[in-house]
Amino acid sequence: MKRRTFLTTAALHSLLNAQATHHAPKAKRIIYLFQSGGPSQLELFDYKPRLRDKYKEELPDSIRMGQRLTGMSSTQSTFPVVPARFSFQQHGQSGAWISELLPHTAKIADKLTVVRSIHTEAINHDPAVTFLQTGSQIAGRPSMGSWVSYGLGSEAKDLPGFVVMISVGSGGQPLYDRLWGSGFLPTQYQGVKFRSVGDPVLFLRDPEGVSREDRRAYLDSLAAINQSKFNETGDPEIATRIAQYEMAFQMQASVPELTDLSKESASVVESYGADARKPGTFAYNCLMARRLAERGVRFIQLYHRDWDHHGGLQKGLPARCRETDQPAAALVRDLEQRGMLQDTLVVWGGEFGRTVYCQGRLTDQDYGRDHHPRCFTMWMAGGGMKPGLVYGETDDYSYNIVADPVHVHDLQATLLHCLGIDHTKLTYRYAGRYFRLTDVHGNVVKKILQS
Amino acid sequence: MLAGQQVEFNRDIRPILSDRCFACHGPDAANRKSPLRLDVPSAAGKGSEIYARVTETNIAKRMPPAYAGHAALAKSDIETIKRWIDQGAPWQNHWSLVAPTRPNGGGIDEFVRRRLQRDGLKTSAQAPAHTLLRRVYLDLTGLPPSPELAAKFTIADYERVVDQLLASPEHAERMAQRWLEWARYADTNGYQSDGVRDMWRWRDWVIDAYKTNMPFDKFTIEQIAGDLLPNATLPQKIATGFHRNHRTNAEGGIVEEEFRVEYVADRVETTATVWLGLTLGCARCHDHKYDPLTQKDFYSMFAFYNNVPERGLVYNFGNEEPTIKAPTPEMAAKLAEYDAKLRSAEANWNALSAQSGKERKIWERRIKDRKEYDWRVEKGLIIYDDLESCDTPCTVTEGKRGKAAQFNGAAQVSAGDKANFNYMSPYSFAAWVKPESENGTILSRIEDYWEGEGYGLYVKQGNLHFVATRRYTDISLRLETEEKLAQGKWQHLAFTYDGTRKGAGVRIWIDGRPAKIKITFDELTYPFGPKVPFLIGSGGGMKFTGAIDDVRVFDRALTEEEALSTAVLETIDQIAAIPEKRRTAQQRAKLQLAFLDQGASAPIKDTLAARDAARIERDKYNETLPTVMVMVEGPKRQAYLLKRGAYDARGEAVESATPHALPAMKPEWPRNRLGLAQWLVDRHNPLTARVQMNRMWQMFFGTGLVKTVEDLGSQGEWPSHLALLDYLAVEFMDRGWDLRAMEKLIVMSEAYRQTSAASPEQWQRDPENRLISRGPRVRLPAAFVRDQALAVSGLLVNKTGGPSVKPYQPPGLWQELSGGAYREDKGDGLYRRSLYTYWKRTVAPPMMINFDSPTREGCVVRETRTNTPLQALNLMNDVTFVEAARKFAERMIREGGASVDDRVAYAWRVALARAPSAKEASAARLTYDRFVKKFDADPKAAERSLNAGASERDKSLNITELAAYTMVASLILNLDETVTKE
Repeated sequence: MKRRTFLTTAALHSLLNAQATHHAPKAKRIIYLFQSGGPSQLELFDYKPRLRDKYKEELPDSIRMGQRLTGMSSTQSTFPVVPARFSFQQHGQSGAWISELLPHTAKIADKLTVVRSIHTEAINHDPAVTFLQTGSQIAGRPSMGSWVSYGLGSEAKDLPGFVVMISVGSGGQPLYDRLWGSGFLPTQYQGVKFRSVGDPVLFLRDPEGVSREDRRAYLDSLAAINQSKFNETGDPEIATRIAQYEMAFQMQASVPELTDLSKESASVVESYGADARKPGTFAYNCLMARRLAERGVRFIQLYHRDWDHHGGLQKGLPARCRETDQPAAALVRDLEQRGMLQDTLVVWGGEFGRTVYCQGRLTDQDYGRDHHPRCFTMWMAGGGMKPGLVYGETDDYSYNIVADPVHVHDLQATLLHCLGIDHTKLTYRYAGRYFRLTDVHGNVVKKILQS
Repeated sequence: MLAGQQVEFNRDIRPILSDRCFACHGPDAANRKSPLRLDVPSAAGKGSEIYARVTETNIAKRMPPAYAGHAALAKSDIETIKRWIDQGAPWQNHWSLVAPTRPNGGGIDEFVRRRLQRDGLKTSAQAPAHTLLRRVYLDLTGLPPSPELAAKFTIADYERVVDQLLASPEHAERMAQRWLEWARYADTNGYQSDGVRDMWRWRDWVIDAYKTNMPFDKFTIEQIAGDLLPNATLPQKIATGFHRNHRTNAEGGIVEEEFRVEYVADRVETTATVWLGLTLGCARCHDHKYDPLTQKDFYSMFAFYNNVPERGLVYNFGNEEPTIKAPTPEMAAKLAEYDAKLRSAEANWNALSAQSGKERKIWERRIKDRKEYDWRVEKGLIIYDDLESCDTPCTVTEGKRGKAAQFNGAAQVSAGDKANFNYMSPYSFAAWVKPESENGTILSRIEDYWEGEGYGLYVKQGNLHFVATRRYTDISLRLETEEKLAQGKWQHLAFTYDGTRKGAGVRIWIDGRPAKIKITFDELTYPFGPKVPFLIGSGGGMKFTGAIDDVRVFDRALTEEEALSTAVLETIDQIAAIPEKRRTAQQRAKLQLAFLDQGASAPIKDTLAARDAARIERDKYNETLPTVMVMVEGPKRQAYLLKRGAYDARGEAVESATPHALPAMKPEWPRNRLGLAQWLVDRHNPLTARVQMNRMWQMFFGTGLVKTVEDLGSQGEWPSHLALLDYLAVEFMDRGWDLRAMEKLIVMSEAYRQTSAASPEQWQRDPENRLISRGPRVRLPAAFVRDQALAVSGLLVNKTGGPSVKPYQPPGLWQELSGGAYREDKGDGLYRRSLYTYWKRTVAPPMMINFDSPTREGCVVRETRTNTPLQALNLMNDVTFVEAARKFAERMIREGGASVDDRVAYAWRVALARAPSAKEASAARLTYDRFVKKFDADPKAAERSLNAGASERDKSLNITELAAYTMVASLILNLDETVTKE
């Protein structure tokens, strides 16, 4: 199991070509819209009409089957079933059931691959998000984006290969640097966070009073001195450093250009929603994601938070949907209109689902749901996914999977597969063994792929 | 390997077998695909069989099996196996599992030369004096030499400088920096909302240990088991903080045992990595696939660490038990002063007790006829409601003291936004109650449903019931009295809580009798904040039925006497009128308190006040003392083999033991952490000394003699110089585990003192310098890149030890991930060495991460170095370096002489300990000239360019000049050579 020759450590220039990957890739890049906190599948995609008759009934033992609960609800005295308090309709040719909370997503139903049978092993946020993003619940492994940049390098000449953007303003669960960290892979593969406050990339801006011409002249002097050092010592690291300073200089121009929306057509910007010009919103980040994709960034990871509705679901969930529904749908359409959807894989989803029983106070105005790792819904679009497909089935309570389960490692294997990577072969030797994103597990879910 | 060379099993054959065969034919019984094992001595006889199978042309029979997706062995590997067979296929135990013996040969340089000769290479010339000076300074202290020293240093001074550096506090800090990384040290918990903890006293301990050159065996024993040493001292207990540095989880809803197991496993894995250089973590879920480490070995090690009385779900803010107060010696001295003051104040008070008694009797006689003379505890009384009246639907009824409020299951009395207590604030309640229902709320400040947030005192199913809740199901304190309250009868309740976050901190008296308390849930790990008023008779989804009178709320924990006094209805004159022997305990308490407050003479009052003041002062000071989380050996918790590593899949019970493939523990050692520590640093342990010396080599040369410094097992790299490694290991032990002696041995060697410049041929023949054909040339670790800039600029505040500091960090980094604001320090905290930088694990300091620092989420011992554009941006634009450039420029102007050339030359000496070459000087000069011109034309830009950082600009200097020199200074800080050890 030797490391493949294509897995060179030289990043920041294109390495992707048909011969280099394990098989012909369908997707060249991934845009991952992570919905942190655990959006409720019951209110959004996993329609369970029979629950209406079971309102306030105790969750049957035959469904729970003694499976563990979080410490938050395990000591609850009752587990009353609550059906979704939002209506569903079937959409598109596929007839996918989609909630009234996601009207824009509903309109692109036929472009989506909705998987209702994702399941995970973790029951709390930190381990669950870490599991989805790194393949292990315990911190220390490289993130998915790092694996992809390590495996495929970057197509972008003057941007990092792995970019992360976070919606600001909302509360919700914390995030952690490790979710885009490179673990034991060299740090050049870590995700670079594009920020909406201060410099978009940390330390991007020159000090006040220093112009571009100044920086150019400065770098010329720097390169001259470094070059003479290189001549003297022969250390190739010096040549690399000279090149990295040049790359930094280019980034200082390309990042501002990236965030300059003046050349975007107004109708496109508006399609992402009213907030699309407001840095830090999910809408703005979705638009940026498309612009990054156009510039060859390999892995674009967005985070939107506050889906953790232990209580306050009735008001909180619609608010999250209003923030994300239109931009996510617009992104898919925008990519399609530019002919980029076929080689861009868009992924939408959280770290787990939510319980059918109510957590906390059940009133006419409000209810809550606890974490539920045994089934949840994600959707994907483009990049080799079979469009207009609803895959996987759960029981009447959306508690257990009854058909076509997709484990988190299966999902990871499938995403890598779309990029032309065999997940069992993208490995890195560290501490005496070969590590991979999917640990020793994972099967590509062929049935959701375009043939 | 070279043609014609003798094949050596461990070097040449084992890596092939380990990498390609052991997974199915190795130590992991569960995964063994046939009875054939290639990891045991009997494999020696299997040479031909191996050869036949790996060269098999029938692909269905070939090994490694094509059907499992494995490729055939490389031709060169097959060739090596063939030669091994030709030489008789001898077998060896894995080298690192056999104790090192002193190899033939006379020191580092001989071993290095021998190896070079074999490859037809030579050592390089000695590095120039200035290069060597800067190298050894950076290696031993992480800081550059002063320009004065650089100017006069000659090779003749080298040894003297080395000795000075080894004895310096900066050296101790330098060594601590790397130990902190191995020890996954941080200032936060590391999971989810990543709350703060305080382990800096442990860091101080590490620095102190290096300062005194504590032998490594002692260093080991104290950190692993200092608490178990006979008459353990405070520092020895602090040392055990090492194994409390792992991440801990405070996320609500986690399964406690899942994470407690995780903590114990982390200790096992960290111990194995730091001391043994073995990947024992691989055996957590199954037998190791390459090394002779079984799953049982893992859990036998686990058993050593399993008895800490700790929880899986921890406090999010502050240190989690077990902890100890860990004052610095100065603090301890100060505390002793307070203690002495208190003792003398107490003695003064006790000396007055007889006189006080006499005075009281006189006072009693004086006041017993003062009608309705009453007294009550006023200190801390924040709510007092006599309930003489109340609004409908509440009615007024006959009370215990005047009228009382009659609640009918629908009423409430509000005291407004008062008594906003939290989990760490002490408080007390007192009230008279006459319940007429088994369920009802006496007083509360809690959302109006049963599982709401806040606190409440209830009657529930007849018992007195107390709840303080953040989230009822998992973050709350719940307790109740064993006895029921009588229905329809007035009873007095007194309740005190000491703010310790524990049920044990609650005391309850019913009618003056201490009530037995049953704690039903004791996980008040998080602050709470009810947004509702303080209510009497309502809250938590219940209303009171019955009467309530005389409600008092205090924002402190009353003493027992005070609590008892609240129950006494009799006025002071009435009590005084009762013959002394017939007074109840409550009455006596009330009378005594009243006397001390009202009737006592000035000397008694003053003496008492002095005692109370001394106690408060002492307690207040004691409260400020830092604590540190430590190891404590609690009652034995049975350890089990956990199937698949899952916390809830227990297999056989296991007892503490060291891995079976390593030398056994001596019978006289205890089977606990202390024995484990002794075993780690025992002469017969084949790994510890080698592992430490390998990493010391990494510290000086950038790469270990075994490159995989975290793994000296079967899958680890074969050592480039096994004899050298063994020599160092034996020498280390022979010299009493003396780290400094070994450092000196290395830096005095010719190998270390070689020049790092190399010919193209050398680069080609030995690209990574594994053969040590030249001196080390590697980029500085993250911390030193920053520390050096601070030193060069003169901003460095070189103070040893103390709490963590918060230097510059781009604003918003914490908010956008985990909330909470990063508050930069002012003054010194901005300029301390990086090992004191506050380390938040989930949002680590970005500069440190950009320059490849480990994230501190787990133990990391391998040094890595990347070269990225983010590093360039960081060095050019981060305020840390922009400010450093400005101060460096000021220094150039003030101290560097009069001419530009002199100043440039001076700057080179400050940063690089040498004079610039003509080319360098002219490039710097060019930069200077360009920027002087620019800033002359645009003085505003000059001024703006000097704004970065909190330090004052030297206003006496010409702005244009300073701005131009600042660009030159920045240029120097960005040079490859500057961030590199040459």
